[in-house]
Amino acid sequence: MQTKSKVYLVVVHTLLIIGSSVMIWPFIWMIITSFKTVTEATAMNPFRFFPSQLRFENYQGVIEQFNFLKLYFNTFSMIAINVLCAIVFSSMAAFAFARLEFPGRDFCFGIVLFQMMIPTQIFIVPQYLMVDKLGARNTIFALVFPGLVSAFGTFLLRQFFKMIPKELEYSARIDGCNIGQMFVRIMLPLVKPGLVALAIFTALFAFKNLMWPLIINPSPDAATLSSALSKIQSAYSVNYPRLMAASVLAVCPMLILYFVFQKQFMESVVTSGLTM
Amino acid sequence: MGEQRTKKRIGKNRISEWLWGWFLIAPTTIGLIILNIIPAIQSFYMSFFKIGDFGVNNEFVGLANYEKMFNDPQVWRAVINTLRYTVLVVPVSIFLSAVIAVILNSNIKGQDIYRSIYFIPVVATPAAVTMVWRWLYNYHYGLINFVIKKIGLQPVKWMDDPNVAMLSIAIIGIWSIVGYNMVLILAGLQEIPKTYYEAASIDGANSIVMFFKIILPMVSPTIFFVMITSIIQCMQVFDVVYMMINVSNPAYDKTVSLVYLFYNNTFKYYDEGYGSAIVMLLLVIISIITVIQVKLQKKWVNYL
Amino acid sequence: MKRRILAFGLALIMMFVVMLTGCGGSKTDQSSGQTQQTDKPASKEDNSSKSSSGPVTITYGLWDTNQAEGFKTMISEFEKENPNIKIEMQVTGWAEYWTALDVAASSGTLPDTFWMHTNSIYKYTSQERIMDLTDKIEKSDKVSMDNFPQGLVEIFKYNGKQYCVPKDFDTIGLWYNKTAFDEAGLKYPDETWTWDDLYEAAKKLTKPDKSQYGFLAALHNQEGFYNFIYQNGGTVITPDKKSGYDDPKTIEAMEYYVRFVKEGLSPQVFDDAERAQLMQNGLVAMGLFGSWNLSGFAANEFMAQNCDVTVLPASPGGGRASIYNGLGYAIAPNTKDENAAWKWIEYLGSKEGQTRQAELGIAISAYNGTADAWVESNKTFSIKCFIDMLDYAVIRPYSNTTTVWEDKVYEELRGAFTEEKTVEQACKDAARVMNECLAQE
Repeated sequence: MQTKSKVYLVVVHTLLIIGSSVMIWPFIWMIITSFKTVTEATAMNPFRFFPSQLRFENYQGVIEQFNFLKLYFNTFSMIAINVLCAIVFSSMAAFAFARLEFPGRDFCFGIVLFQMMIPTQIFIVPQYLMVDKLGARNTIFALVFPGLVSAFGTFLLRQFFKMIPKELEYSARIDGCNIGQMFVRIMLPLVKPGLVALAIFTALFAFKNLMWPLIINPSPDAATLSSALSKIQSAYSVNYPRLMAASVLAVCPMLILYFVFQKQFMESVVTSGLTM
Repeated sequence: MGEQRTKKRIGKNRISEWLWGWFLIAPTTIGLIILNIIPAIQSFYMSFFKIGDFGVNNEFVGLANYEKMFNDPQVWRAVINTLRYTVLVVPVSIFLSAVIAVILNSNIKGQDIYRSIYFIPVVATPAAVTMVWRWLYNYHYGLINFVIKKIGLQPVKWMDDPNVAMLSIAIIGIWSIVGYNMVLILAGLQEIPKTYYEAASIDGANSIVMFFKIILPMVSPTIFFVMITSIIQCMQVFDVVYMMINVSNPAYDKTVSLVYLFYNNTFKYYDEGYGSAIVMLLLVIISIITVIQVKLQKKWVNYL
Repeated sequence: MKRRILAFGLALIMMFVVMLTGCGGSKTDQSSGQTQQTDKPASKEDNSSKSSSGPVTITYGLWDTNQAEGFKTMISEFEKENPNIKIEMQVTGWAEYWTALDVAASSGTLPDTFWMHTNSIYKYTSQERIMDLTDKIEKSDKVSMDNFPQGLVEIFKYNGKQYCVPKDFDTIGLWYNKTAFDEAGLKYPDETWTWDDLYEAAKKLTKPDKSQYGFLAALHNQEGFYNFIYQNGGTVITPDKKSGYDDPKTIEAMEYYVRFVKEGLSPQVFDDAERAQLMQNGLVAMGLFGSWNLSGFAANEFMAQNCDVTVLPASPGGGRASIYNGLGYAIAPNTKDENAAWKWIEYLGSKEGQTRQAELGIAISAYNGTADAWVESNKTFSIKCFIDMLDYAVIRPYSNTTTVWEDKVYEELRGAFTEEKTVEQACKDAARVMNECLAQE
């Protein structure tokens, strides 16, 4: 590659740094505000840019009112179950859609595509009634219910299975593997990047979902971080420092996970996009 | 070729393959039918009814909901707003992410750090993100207006001014999607063999020519994917508008999206039939756009 | 790609096929829903016999986090008295509360006990989604409707039956920033004030550099223009269910209210949440806020130090009004334990429970004679005015579809505040859309 001139580098780095600040500034502002009092937060005075002291009252306030331990537990149980279901069921279906021939295959795959195009809001009321009939509101099951199967996951993994060379399949068959063995022993290990990508996407979807947990689990002990956050917003609509404290608590777990598994996060995005 | 070979396989194997296939897709297919297909059909069915309180005394009204919809100026405003949002967010975010990705791809120092930072908004909950943006946009006490006033300009009503509110919402949309698209495009760029650049620079191509002649065609499949997913996502915009703009806001008419309108009619005004009709309209629009895109892709997407 | 499109087409065809069968399906759904309801009494008995063996959990749905604090105390006191009953509070925000309650009502899974509001009372009673409490109240020696203001009892009546026990009421007061008045050398507002005094004071309190506005005339009905409309003898909804927005008296009141915005004496405010914020930062010197804000305002250091509240001013003709509204306690018709649920509601509606609610400063209890206890609960502000206004208070206008037309009216009226149209035009438009909604009831 050609060597870059110094001017070019300075300009580029300046631009990138400005861009980065725009990207993380809302989060920094969130943290700064969360330590302020309401008066400090609304007194727009440059000398009061930072809180006069580190106050944890806002955090105390939200933790007293909302059982965050329980919220973390609910959220992560929901994510874990959703991820597990997505991986197991989607990989099974995706493998069949990609590598097997059987009547009704294209039709069923049509259902998968169809689901991906419909706005999810359409499903809320009928799904609610189903959970309700089962008497399962305010449970973890209710939270995971809409995500028990994943059309997106099936679609994504199908692309991965399609990329596996036919030769592998033939050699497996010659070795006497039946289809199940071939799927588990040979194919599944080959789509590992796809599985990681699916796990991360499923976790993000579940984590971000707001409307469903809000409606299906009204009990505060069965809420998730997002749904509790919106309740906190209606409770402290104008107390921004407290809202920001709650936001920090709600955003943190995913951010920590992100920094720990950064590489996987990036790769998962990349692999999902390259398989189209 | 492969298909023919499979068909030639003897009967027993074929039956076994059928059985395996059905077995493997059973959970997903049954799940999708119960969780998604039936509810979607119920919604479609509902769009021909005037739903009574609590779903009792439903009255078949034929196409009345659709008739009402086509004569409802608010629905058309929502269609325009939704499209406007999409037109604002998709090109700008793709352009920005492409530029950042190209810069980062030129082996710049700190590439990984920049990439990680740009990606952060993707992992945050929309509820929290909107809250902090509301706070930044606040007319009287928001940081943005504070800075604007310091420079000596007039403060802006980011959320109340009908001419600005859509822009404010689009900024949040762009902000939260840029990192995701950037990582995708960056990955696409890294697939391009170095020899291409070398050949081009020997030919005396400058960076701009290089961008349009080499980079763009090479990453066009990635950009196509990014575009399709972004458009579908943008057409369903709801969370941010819902949390920022309420009905009494003067910018409501200029920002209300189709899904927001659906939400209001279904869950606030309890007119589920009308709400369903609105979602059907959204479905039709998304389908049309997707078909057009798929048709157009042949003209500009370069598959190797 | 071709194959994909083919598959998609097939899916569509199948959709229509299933739709036909789906029609039948949903019909049976409904009938099974009804049988479910008729089944309920049997299972209820099951449960009540169970209650003797262990504590029964009664869910209690409400939408106000501030009040939830006080109810924690009341619940623990109640549970001590009734070891067999556990109360589980379910707090939600206002908007989500109604969404969730409505879906729950459709499927018969309401919380055992919950709050009811005038906006939805008709819908719930007419479809019998809340329990008729007439017999229970008659038999009870603790709860009697004679102990509550007649107006509040009436709103929870339908076809001569009592569906809710009144919980509390709220009125709207004029909040003002004492420090701002001192600086301007003005006398604090009091019961002698009229619209002119409010206007003159607002003029003097507005600073040219916009660092302080005299009055907060936000686009808000209950804590805003409704009060002025009724003070002026106008109306929002007529007894025969027509819109009152085209009433000249209503338009006159709206003209007065919007004038504050037009002349720059009030900021343009449309966001519900932002209003209190402006008061809490001294950006507006006066504003209308309901009594339910009390605990929030008292907790705010700026307001506790600088602000106070008084009765609303009278119209030039001497007309007085303050919008008042009451909440009610309701029981789900299919509660798992009718007796336990009633015990809890009976306690909440009894003199003891109502006094406790007042003492703890949760809300102005509806029970006659408990007002003093509520006034005592807060020394920060002179809150007695909220009770004084009850003499001339007007019930918040409502009909069967209040939520719908209130939103539609907002959509029309906001043009007057942004000066896109004249007040008169905005009111006429509001009347038109409101009448369209009312016609569909």
